[in-house]
Amino acid sequence: MDNTAIIISFLIVALSSGCAFLIARCIYRGRLCIAERKEPPSRDGFSLSNRETRQIEISKNELELIFDSIPEQICILDSTFTVVRANRSFSEFAQKPIRELIGQKCHKIRRQMDAPCEECPAKMTFEQGLSIFRKSFPCTSGDTVKHFEVSVFPVFDENRRVVHVIESARDITDEKLVTEQMIVSEKLASLGKMTSGIAHEMTNPLSGISGNASNLLSMPQKYGLNEKGVSRVAMILNAATHATAIMDDLLHLSKKPDPASVAVNLNSLLMKTVSAVHIEDAGDIERIFNMDDTLPKFNCDPAKLQQAFVHIVTNGLLAILDRKKNRVNENLFRGLLVISTYRTDDRICITIADNGIGIPETIKNRIFDPFFSTRPAGQGSGLGLSVSNKIIAEYGGRIEVDRINDMTRFSIVLPIRTTEPE
Amino acid sequence: MTPQNGNHEHHILVVDDELAIRMMLADFLDMSYNVKTAENGEVALELLRENRFDLIISDINMPGISGPQLLGRVRELYPQTKTALITAYNIDEYIKAAKERMITNIIPKTVPFNFAELEFIVHGLVTGDIFGLNRYLLDGGSVIEQNTITSTAMAKTVQNHIIELLEERFSTSGDMKLILEEIIANAMYHAPVDEDGSEKYREFNDVVLQPDEYITVECGFDTEKYGVSITDNLGRLSKETVLYKIERQITGEGLLDDSGRGIHMSRLFADRMVINIDPGRKTEVILMNYFSNKYRGYKPLYINTL
Repeated sequence: MDNTAIIISFLIVALSSGCAFLIARCIYRGRLCIAERKEPPSRDGFSLSNRETRQIEISKNELELIFDSIPEQICILDSTFTVVRANRSFSEFAQKPIRELIGQKCHKIRRQMDAPCEECPAKMTFEQGLSIFRKSFPCTSGDTVKHFEVSVFPVFDENRRVVHVIESARDITDEKLVTEQMIVSEKLASLGKMTSGIAHEMTNPLSGISGNASNLLSMPQKYGLNEKGVSRVAMILNAATHATAIMDDLLHLSKKPDPASVAVNLNSLLMKTVSAVHIEDAGDIERIFNMDDTLPKFNCDPAKLQQAFVHIVTNGLLAILDRKKNRVNENLFRGLLVISTYRTDDRICITIADNGIGIPETIKNRIFDPFFSTRPAGQGSGLGLSVSNKIIAEYGGRIEVDRINDMTRFSIVLPIRTTEPE
Repeated sequence: MTPQNGNHEHHILVVDDELAIRMMLADFLDMSYNVKTAENGEVALELLRENRFDLIISDINMPGISGPQLLGRVRELYPQTKTALITAYNIDEYIKAAKERMITNIIPKTVPFNFAELEFIVHGLVTGDIFGLNRYLLDGGSVIEQNTITSTAMAKTVQNHIIELLEERFSTSGDMKLILEEIIANAMYHAPVDEDGSEKYREFNDVVLQPDEYITVECGFDTEKYGVSITDNLGRLSKETVLYKIERQITGEGLLDDSGRGIHMSRLFADRMVINIDPGRKTEVILMNYFSNKYRGYKPLYINTL
């Protein structure tokens, strides 16, 4: 009991001061020692006493216990990136027992690849003999991508050659998600303040532009306007109206939450929303609803929440159309939009999944940025998803994006709020 | 600079520091009214000293005297002149300033600018011809239903009938169902009073109204919107009450108030709400929704009192 406590506290201190590497190194040395001791040791012609062997055995067990208690995933690799030693965290990540991992290639286990990754930090450590630290390193595990903070340390032989590397990885997927969302919301807050000012100021001149254009159109003779003139003025009016639509989206980013809310059945709001989104050629996309009838009502401004859904549904449908367009030969491809709701103890989850072209990993963390758009200029303001994100955040929820079974899935997670008594 | 026709009956002063807006309003109003323009409050007050105006429409944010300040002065100096503010900003933020000076009309500068709406409001203000849904419909539009409510049971029937009608015609009734119920309940339970001024009927009770307490519900549409109007024949609602309630709801103070909820919800859920009051005679609440969302957004304030 005391021993465990000491080991745990030692571990905590060791880890917090960044000493995982040292412990791992001890283990590494222990392993080599123990391996050497398999044959009766005969260095200097002396053999170890039974007591000494027992003590070594105890230290070995202790060190292994420590090694396995470290929450970081630790493995020791040789120069062919083969795992020679791994701890329990690593085996849990790989979902295989330790003995099956020994002798396997690291890249095979971590990324299911046959060759080492281009940017492999272990490779660099072998080549340069330096310790390497990577803030974020993505690895696939099953269907999901996980992110790791990776440190790699060299182990030298007597000739200062790197014989092994110790790789220590910490799963930072959740942290990364939270940080990313924090950055997004901070960015939105500052941007919101600035843009609401600008948008307000722009409405006034835009109103003047459109109003004067309307006057010209309604009384062309009075202003000496011919047919061509009328068509050009109509263009001015259209442009002003388009600019206003962008301004409206911008203003929405900076609006305070609406104090007035009603208890809304999200299932029917979703169904209503999905059927209300009309996009050219999207008619034959199959829409599947998996609704949880036990979903509690949600207190909100339905129009606002609907707006959040509209942008996500629209994006999903457009992604499907993009895939159709890009892969003309995929005759068998059928567009599919799956909308599901379910509840957990304290959350309502809404998922909107499409089997469209998907979101490239490189732009994944930018899709909620205002003005970020993959669509040609003039098609969409690039504000849709950032507006959705803002609205959901106003209700204390969040939006997550992942890819599952060839589908891009947006999950809207909302906290269950108690409905005020009637 | 100032367009002048001089042959129309009514005189309007337009005040806005932005030339484009000033001209846009003047060009349009010029067709039916005598219009003068001013670029700021000082010039406006000067013009007011020498000319009689039926209506002054002023921008809110101007250098020097602000719109609400200017109209406040006008109400003191020229009580016969009607006043309206016009703004591109969020009207909710100016309800307090409007309430302090009893300014009851704030017109939004929408994009595209809604000239038809401007004409309905301006015409009502200068002529006093404010009642009836028909007055707010474009040419070719019409009132298609007129129902009289004489009891609680009938109120339910009429409500359902109107919603069905809207659904059938336009395959939507917006949030009309919600607000119609509130406004009709207001007219039924809060309008009729005893001699001592206390409310005659208790809410949710079955009530049979006296002939002079009958409520009229109209429903109509034109090419760009549909609307419902609810009229009581008592005219007990005052603009002070309406402004007080809207302000309390906007600031959040009145969130749990039972009273004022109908008016607030109407303002929130309908694209347009117009309240017409002939004190002691009748009160009309008009609720309208546009088919397209181009005029949605900031909610105007339209309260007309004869």
